[in-house]
Amino acid sequence: MNAPETYAATNAASTGVSIDRKRLKALARRTDRPGLVFIAKWLAALACSSFAIWLALGSWWVWPAMLAHGVILCVPAYALSHETAHGTAFKTRWLNEAVLWATSFIYIEEPLHRRYTHTNHHTFTWHAGKDSQMPFATPMDFRGWLQEVSGFGLARFHIAAMLRLAAARYTPMMREVVPESELPKLTRNARLFLALYALLAGLIVWGVGWPLWFLVLPRVLGAPAMLLFTLIQHVEMQENSPSILESTRSFGTSRTGRFLYMNMNHHIEHHLYPQVPFFALPELHEELRDQLPKPDPGFWRTNLEVLSVVLRRSLGRHTKARSIRQAPHMIGQGRFERIAERTM
Amino acid sequence: MTNWVRACATDAIDAEDLIMWEHDGRSFAIYNTDQGFFATDGLCTHQHYPLEDGIVIGTVIECPLHGGRFEVTTGEALSAPVCEDLKTYPVKIEGGSVYLAID
Ligand code: FES
Repeated sequence: MNAPETYAATNAASTGVSIDRKRLKALARRTDRPGLVFIAKWLAALACSSFAIWLALGSWWVWPAMLAHGVILCVPAYALSHETAHGTAFKTRWLNEAVLWATSFIYIEEPLHRRYTHTNHHTFTWHAGKDSQMPFATPMDFRGWLQEVSGFGLARFHIAAMLRLAAARYTPMMREVVPESELPKLTRNARLFLALYALLAGLIVWGVGWPLWFLVLPRVLGAPAMLLFTLIQHVEMQENSPSILESTRSFGTSRTGRFLYMNMNHHIEHHLYPQVPFFALPELHEELRDQLPKPDPGFWRTNLEVLSVVLRRSLGRHTKARSIRQAPHMIGQGRFERIAERTM
Repeated sequence: MTNWVRACATDAIDAEDLIMWEHDGRSFAIYNTDQGFFATDGLCTHQHYPLEDGIVIGTVIECPLHGGRFEVTTGEALSAPVCEDLKTYPVKIEGGSVYLAID
């Protein structure tokens, strides 16, 4: 969506948060090393979980092994495709783009579509009908939660988007967020991705087992973990606000969570200054601490409170959460007026 | 006849950085790169966001809003979401000052 010249994009300026310019530049400085170290650790973890699957093949233990492998596969693949869509993961551009392609393949989204729709998400963060990355209707109820966390809703969107791009049958949203001259590139890439997915499917049908055990089933099993991370970025927050503090949530999480999610638990900080790479987000958090709300409690507690809220909303009970932040209109009892429809 | 206008002192721009300079109701970005000083329009061609808080990497400026990249020596749009080139302006250095040729 091309913002009019007068539109103020949702970021630090529209929120009224500020930082010393020199400090911001220092925090936004690029380097390859943290991204390469991250990938090395990620591949080592994947090698371990793959080994566990290999050991468990033929027994029921293969299912928990594939679940663990799926979490290790999906959450960092999402986080890396996000970071590289921003272009902040590496200083070396070709490295950034190569990782964007590889991780978007796992995430099942054409890389330029990923970049353009995310660009729009930063311009119109959580604005109904304008933000092209609103994955659920708001306020969320239990049905919406199930659709989101099961991975069903996102998979349906991603598959439909890939097929539409490949067929050059662009949706109004695609035409809105992607310049006309770029659309043929998205079509070319989507066709290439579909050919590779077809190759994997062909191998499985042919009787080759590894794509199924190490890629496809773990991708399905690991998706809910990835979606529990992404769900709490904006759920229960304020739609249509210029303030990132009102539309977005940061939350605490363990070292493992911070690693898998590449520090994106500092989500407010990321939306305020998207040019700051993942490895500098903890420092950015320290720098802005006095201007920000306290992060919500840990990943599990935040998710349990969200689940409790959406269940109660579906049952017509009061929806005040115990401790997580909620927009005022999310708190109440009985019928809730629909504010935003999903755009993905 | 080229209209050279003094914009700033050379030491007003840190190495690998830029400043915004307003002149006659227009904004310009002036860069101090490892290849020398360069100047372009000050607003990104994608959504007209000021480039001021962008990152300079070599001779590339990255827009702070969505990360679109431009080659500052030529203004060429290098990567999505920017597709339209930035206008560039000739620069000369004289007596410790940066001058821009403005049309
Ligand atoms: S406004 Fe510069 S890349 Fe979007």
